[in-house]
Amino acid sequence: MGSLKIENVKKSFGPVDVLKGIDLDVKDGEFVVFVGPSGCGKSTLLRIIAGLEDATSGDVLIDGQRVTNAPPSKRGIAMVFQTYALYPHLTVRDNMSLGLKQAGTPTAEIDQRIAASSAMLSLEPYLKRRPAELSGGQRQRVAIGRALVREPKLFLFDEPLSNLDAALRVNTRLEIAQLHHRLKATMVYVTHDQVEAMTLADRIVVLNAGRIEQVGAPMELYNKPANLFVAGFIGSPKMNFIDGARLGETAKTVGVRPEHILVSDKAGAWKGTVIHAEHLGADTNVFLETEKAGLITIRLFGEYQTGPGATLYATPDAARTYRFDADGKAMG
Amino acid sequence: MSQQSLEHSQDRRPTRWHIAVFLAPALLVYTAVMILPLFGTLQLSLFRNVDNAQVFAGFDNFRTLFGDPRWSDSFWNALGNNTWFFIIHMLVQNPIGILLAALLSSPKLRFSAFYRTAIFIPTILSFVIVGFAWKLILSPLWGVAPNLLDLVGLKSLFVPWLGKEEYALTALSLISVWQFVGIPMMLIYAAMLSIPDEVIEAAECDGVTGFSQFWKIKLPLILPAIGIISILTFVGNFNAFDLIYSAQGALAGPNYATDILGTFLYRTFFGFQLQIGDPNMGATIASMMFFIILAGVCLYLFLIQRRLRRYQF
Repeated sequence: MGSLKIENVKKSFGPVDVLKGIDLDVKDGEFVVFVGPSGCGKSTLLRIIAGLEDATSGDVLIDGQRVTNAPPSKRGIAMVFQTYALYPHLTVRDNMSLGLKQAGTPTAEIDQRIAASSAMLSLEPYLKRRPAELSGGQRQRVAIGRALVREPKLFLFDEPLSNLDAALRVNTRLEIAQLHHRLKATMVYVTHDQVEAMTLADRIVVLNAGRIEQVGAPMELYNKPANLFVAGFIGSPKMNFIDGARLGETAKTVGVRPEHILVSDKAGAWKGTVIHAEHLGADTNVFLETEKAGLITIRLFGEYQTGPGATLYATPDAARTYRFDADGKAMG
Repeated sequence: MSQQSLEHSQDRRPTRWHIAVFLAPALLVYTAVMILPLFGTLQLSLFRNVDNAQVFAGFDNFRTLFGDPRWSDSFWNALGNNTWFFIIHMLVQNPIGILLAALLSSPKLRFSAFYRTAIFIPTILSFVIVGFAWKLILSPLWGVAPNLLDLVGLKSLFVPWLGKEEYALTALSLISVWQFVGIPMMLIYAAMLSIPDEVIEAAECDGVTGFSQFWKIKLPLILPAIGIISILTFVGNFNAFDLIYSAQGALAGPNYATDILGTFLYRTFFGFQLQIGDPNMGATIASMMFFIILAGVCLYLFLIQRRLRRYQF
């Protein structure tokens, strides 16, 4: 009841091609996250799905119906904006009911839907307040509630957590994840934050410069990045890229994640000097200037006593080393 | 800073002279051009000229203004006309201003900068030009209005609007509306631009579009701007003088049909034709204008402004 199909969608603003042909299938009940650096076109794609922006060419199908030219309200979607976009002059209740009233929904049903969704989001105490009297997290919950009462086929989230502080972001992320489990609704979520993408998504769509780089489950992207871009984008700290020639490899670039490097102060493949160490408690990030591989980042679990000037030996986990050809594509 | 020096500085807080210094220029200028003349006028209204000497007369001038039918008839006529002048502005100028702003803020409109400028230009024209231009346009003898109406076969509708007692005031009010409609348009336009795009997009997703979007989302959000415009219109209209003077002369004809408080004050204060100027009675009328505007502004500030919510986006 809430599938989405995007067929060869292109979008240009004047001479600038923002989307260069996007094809995507989202199954009913799936949680799909668009992730990518700013300017990659992920928000534009979401706005085209919502109908807030017209595609230059291509088609959008929701539930098998072509909605390319339908206005947003006829697409069966509901959108949650980064800036909440609540109606500032209306109470929480009126914010949630405005769309339903406009559609001529009977009052009893409006009341019942508002009661259900405000209970789900614990918004009952605030129903009579105006947005100005709410905190950022509460406002975002109201925005989600406003989407919820419309019972859409498709939920669209445009960076909904970006305006919240770190602690609230984790809580709201959890709430959105729970919401998805409970409603089993199809959700499309845009973010530039790979942690949000990894934690929420059933499938992640990595976008870069108007193209889809890779689509896959979070662990698929982590374990089998299709190219250099995805390999560098997913994972934190970023994957180390080493010039293949330096290591005597045929591949153009060799990639190894910071957490897949073993460290010893006696012996190992790459000898190096510690430039800096970040002690995070649960992790220790060591920046090592090696003779053979250049500057690499190593992520060690737990505490590890080292500091600038210390000599360490690093050994990459051969089973988890990635090789990329001259075009940046993953090899074998 | 050490604990000791902190306490020390709290004991002897230095006199903040810079506040007075920075306020002084504005305060001096404002006093010289606004406060002194105002009190001078109020003072003048309490005196009478007896044998070329100013004699304190208490509220006698006000008693004359309201008690003597020769004065009170003119005063009530001018106040009534002024009120009609204001009503026309509120009913025509401001709704049209809002409508134009709504059209201008529509992203689908092309050449909106051109329209904006074109509509705003009359506002920067001199009232003399506006008055004379419209007098010429509407003149039954050499005006273009009868000919233009003739072109579309509606010549029978033509009336010498400025010359008929029953139409002259309304016609002049509409000319003033034409001249000043750019101001509410600009203010509302600015208020509409300050509504975030996302709020409008959220409304689009909610199916609140077109007219109901304007009515339910935009209008409530621009109400504070409409309040400001109403009070500006009120003050401007009750201080108006120039357009009537340039179009109809100080006698505000025909037969005082377009006489408003400003022209009434002018004739009384400076005299006109056979009427001899009377600064004391003029000041009395000016004081009444001040009180009327003061009352209107207070009413607005205490009754309406308080109920208007301002929204932070």
